Amino acid sequence: MNHTAAPINPAQGGLSDLSIRNLFIIPTIVFLILINVFPLLWSLYLSFHEWRANSADDPVFVGIQNYREVLNDSNFWDTFTLTAQYVVYAVIGEVMVGFGIALLLNRSMRGKGLITTLLLLPMMMSPAVVGLFWKLLWNPSWGIVNPLLGLPNDFAWLSDPDRAMWAVVITDVWMWAPFVMLLSLAGLSAIPQYLYEAAEIDRASWWFTFRNITLPLVSPLLLIAIIFRTMENFKQFDMIFTMTGGGPGINTEVNAIKLYRMAFQQWDTGKSCAFAYIMLIMVIGISNIYIKYLNKAKQR
Amino acid sequence: MAAVVSQRKKLANRIMIAAVLVTTFIMLIPIYWIATTSIKSFSDAVAVPPKIFFQPEMTGLVKVFTKRTQLRAPKYKITDQTLESLEADGVPGDVLVELAAVGKLYRTESQFTDAVNEALGPERATDYLALVVRYATISDPTPEKYADARWYEKLIYDSGEKILRASPYPNRLWNSVLISIVSTVLSVAMGTLTAYGFSRFRVKGEKDWLFFILSTRMLPPLVIIVPLFLMYRAVGLIDTHLGLIILYTAFNLSFSVWLMKGFIDEIPVEYEEAAMIDGYTRFEAFRKIVIPQSVTGMAATAVFCFITAWNEYAFALVLTARRAQTAPPFIPSQVGSGLPDWTAIAAGTVLFLIPVVIFTFMLRNHLLRGVTFGAIRK
Amino acid sequence: MQILRRLSLALFSLVFCGAVNAQSLTIFWAEWDPANQLQELADMYTEENGVEVVVETTPWPDFQTKTFTELTAKGTSFDIVVGDSQWLGAGATGGHYVEMTDFFAEHGVDKSMTEGTVTAYAEYPKGSKRYWAIPTEGDADGWSYRKDWFEDPKEMAAFKEKYGYDLGIPETWAQLRDIAEFFHRPDEGRYGVSIYTQKDYDALTMGIENVLWAFGGSLGDMANYKVQGLVNSPGSVEAIEFYKELYQFTPPDWGNTFFIEGNQAMTQGQVAMAMNYFAFFPALTNPKINPHAENTGYFANPAGPKGRFAALGGQGMSINSYISDEQKQLAWDFLEWFVKEENQYKWAEVGGFTCNANVLKSDAFLEATPYNKAFMESMFIVKDFWANPEYADLLESIQRNLHEYIVADKGTAQEALDNIANDWEAIFKKHGYSK
Repeated sequence: MNHTAAPINPAQGGLSDLSIRNLFIIPTIVFLILINVFPLLWSLYLSFHEWRANSADDPVFVGIQNYREVLNDSNFWDTFTLTAQYVVYAVIGEVMVGFGIALLLNRSMRGKGLITTLLLLPMMMSPAVVGLFWKLLWNPSWGIVNPLLGLPNDFAWLSDPDRAMWAVVITDVWMWAPFVMLLSLAGLSAIPQYLYEAAEIDRASWWFTFRNITLPLVSPLLLIAIIFRTMENFKQFDMIFTMTGGGPGINTEVNAIKLYRMAFQQWDTGKSCAFAYIMLIMVIGISNIYIKYLNKAKQR
Repeated sequence: MAAVVSQRKKLANRIMIAAVLVTTFIMLIPIYWIATTSIKSFSDAVAVPPKIFFQPEMTGLVKVFTKRTQLRAPKYKITDQTLESLEADGVPGDVLVELAAVGKLYRTESQFTDAVNEALGPERATDYLALVVRYATISDPTPEKYADARWYEKLIYDSGEKILRASPYPNRLWNSVLISIVSTVLSVAMGTLTAYGFSRFRVKGEKDWLFFILSTRMLPPLVIIVPLFLMYRAVGLIDTHLGLIILYTAFNLSFSVWLMKGFIDEIPVEYEEAAMIDGYTRFEAFRKIVIPQSVTGMAATAVFCFITAWNEYAFALVLTARRAQTAPPFIPSQVGSGLPDWTAIAAGTVLFLIPVVIFTFMLRNHLLRGVTFGAIRK
Repeated sequence: MQILRRLSLALFSLVFCGAVNAQSLTIFWAEWDPANQLQELADMYTEENGVEVVVETTPWPDFQTKTFTELTAKGTSFDIVVGDSQWLGAGATGGHYVEMTDFFAEHGVDKSMTEGTVTAYAEYPKGSKRYWAIPTEGDADGWSYRKDWFEDPKEMAAFKEKYGYDLGIPETWAQLRDIAEFFHRPDEGRYGVSIYTQKDYDALTMGIENVLWAFGGSLGDMANYKVQGLVNSPGSVEAIEFYKELYQFTPPDWGNTFFIEGNQAMTQGQVAMAMNYFAFFPALTNPKINPHAENTGYFANPAGPKGRFAALGGQGMSINSYISDEQKQLAWDFLEWFVKEENQYKWAEVGGFTCNANVLKSDAFLEATPYNKAFMESMFIVKDFWANPEYADLLESIQRNLHEYIVADKGTAQEALDNIANDWEAIFKKHGYSK
């Protein structure tokens, strides 16, 4: 990092450093406050009111009733457990697949660049569109998944209460394992070759080398990947919404989808703001961990 | 001994490479499948079991660009023109006279043939029935209209529908392009300035500000979507291009600041100092030294911002309806009438994904930095 | 910086140009065949009057959301919305819809359209003679079935032997159940019925309504907002227990289904009978989409012990109250044209489900499609859900509780209905309808 408050006086006629600095930074900060902080304050206000955005009535102050309703709703905890399950399974899947591919790819071979880029395609796509076309793949009759796995054509995925979540998780892994792979590859390629050579001379087993050289040296990056994905999955909306819409029943209704329904289908604006705040507090918890690791990584 | 080991290693290496290829293949199947579905016929797209080999056709692509309605079943009526055509084909006059009595409009072929049978008697009816049915059929499209139709109209006729007008899909794609490009330019421009500010000057509480900028990106979009919706509603930004541009700019700004700061930090500060000693103002130094040096970084940042804006769904879903609607919320709306038409959905999807594929290839060297906010550099 | 200046210029012109849109009318509806048919009809209007009419569509799951985000934003992106009957209360009391009572009187709309459709699609509050929409697309739940299976002599004989009466279009719900059971052969990949089971918005409730009223159940006293003892009456219990019985004759994993799945089940040759809205049947007559198009028949709901009813679907056209006066005039002109009998014939001709009594009864309408006759029958037995502004809350509770009982198989029918009655009572109390 380059911290230099340049001691040199700029030529005459130009703006002073101070005004350039302010001109460059302040608009951005103001803009971000306007778009992010202001809405947050507004929704904090609304979360203490009973109000429907589709009615002409004014908000009525109800204290913490919205929060109490959300937290007392047995469905809330179901949704929360469901979201947690989804996050955990998806992240585990992404790490196993992504790290696995990275281990395979971490060797010199022809066309490595091309293959890596091809593998990265899924994560560059629009999650909403991915959800949509995976819906086609999961179709039990004419989708490609069942024939590939040798399953009969009435083996339902998205309409089965238990399997729908697995389908969502697998789709998510397909989309985001490349992300873990990318970070792992970066970590793996940074491991000095001489460590492996030394291990080979010592006739260390593959497992020993992996556990004592590879894993410790990759783990910082892998951890970042895990935190990144945990956060992103916690917020997940697009892909699940276009694929299952939260169904069947509420079997894939994660937090974000429940919030959307509450706010824009049931028009329970006040309560949805309270729900959003509860979600926000959870995200802040996760992001704090994340920021800590990010800073660590930056210092590396 | 060494040879044995190296041979074993070679073999292991081969197996690993094979495994890589297989994995890549598996990962690409979904993309392959959506691409091929876009050029399948409706019946091939929903064939059981799924078809790997098929006759490609353009119907799906035509469908994304058109609004259509189901063709109606043909009707049957003997009109003056029917009689003329029959006469021209040599049908005797007495038959024509009797046929002329069958004046009513019939809505099913069986009712009509019953009526003809009754009028002519079974013997003569068998001779002329086929001809009579042919000339009495009122179908939409008429055979002439079908013959004159353009290739894409024919494709749609063949799938049992007719084209009413163009679909709004091109307009939605255009909205996506416009909104993504403008918001990208804005966020990269603002991001570069701000990054320079943070990189070169002493800012009180710099870490906290940078953290604040980063944290705006951490916010789950759905958390602020309700108040944002209300805000936009109050100032009339719902369903405007400007509304989404502002939003996506804000969305990408934090990312752009972080990424650009990484790039600008790498440009030695001495260059500017030298320039300023030569009489450049600070602003000139920034423009003539820093900007040219960070063009690569700006380009990479721009493509990332573009892809993020291009792919965004939740805000576009809630904040737009028509005029400013982008492609992501529009494509799922092509689910068709009562039955999802996968060929059309796939065609819309593939067209939408093409830019992303191109950009991914352009970006491959910057991907790592981009997806991690510039936190990790290779 | 010049680029920026040019860009901002371009931006502004774009934003403002969007607002200038002379002589064009936008109608907003959900994505389905009737919307395309309306476009075809509107094209005829354009030919006659030179005013461009565009039918914009959005998928069913977002239709409600999109309409109300736009209306509550006082948005003008559409001039006319073809809205669900449940929305009347929200549209009328929220000031989103333009009142049409005078228009009805002037053009005799309440006379020319059938009484049931006027009440269901136009009037709010019910019984007040105040109107907010032009009945446009009549719709109700009906059934498609496999004629070839029903008419197969072998099947007919086997059925007669097993149940003691002839296999045919069911006249009672009990018969429908027998037929479903008869054709339910999972090992052959054939199943009995497809019914609505989805938890989203109103799907499951719409399916249940068909049996609810037929078994003497109730959704409550809509005039006095009384629900206890009605929603959870023995008739209601019997009805949803029956629906749950039907659920066991559906294809596997049929717990998240609505109209799309119903049509898919037919085109895939999976089921003997599929519940669906009539407006979704056009696709089933297209042999390119439905390989069994020739062998697909249609019938109206059978009767239950307490009568014969059908859940109302369908929509009416309402004018967005936030558009400019010029646009409103364009909208009125179009509606005036639309309600004329000659144009209602055209509407029926392009496939629309007209609500005009004369057109409905005409041969031209009855013979236009294989399902129009069953549709006409249904239009005389329709009943609807609540239409007050809190309908979304009511739906949320009934959908959740019924789904729990029927699909998730938790609790008893009585418990589910008691929960709904309690929730609804609380909702009515909260909004001041009852003490």
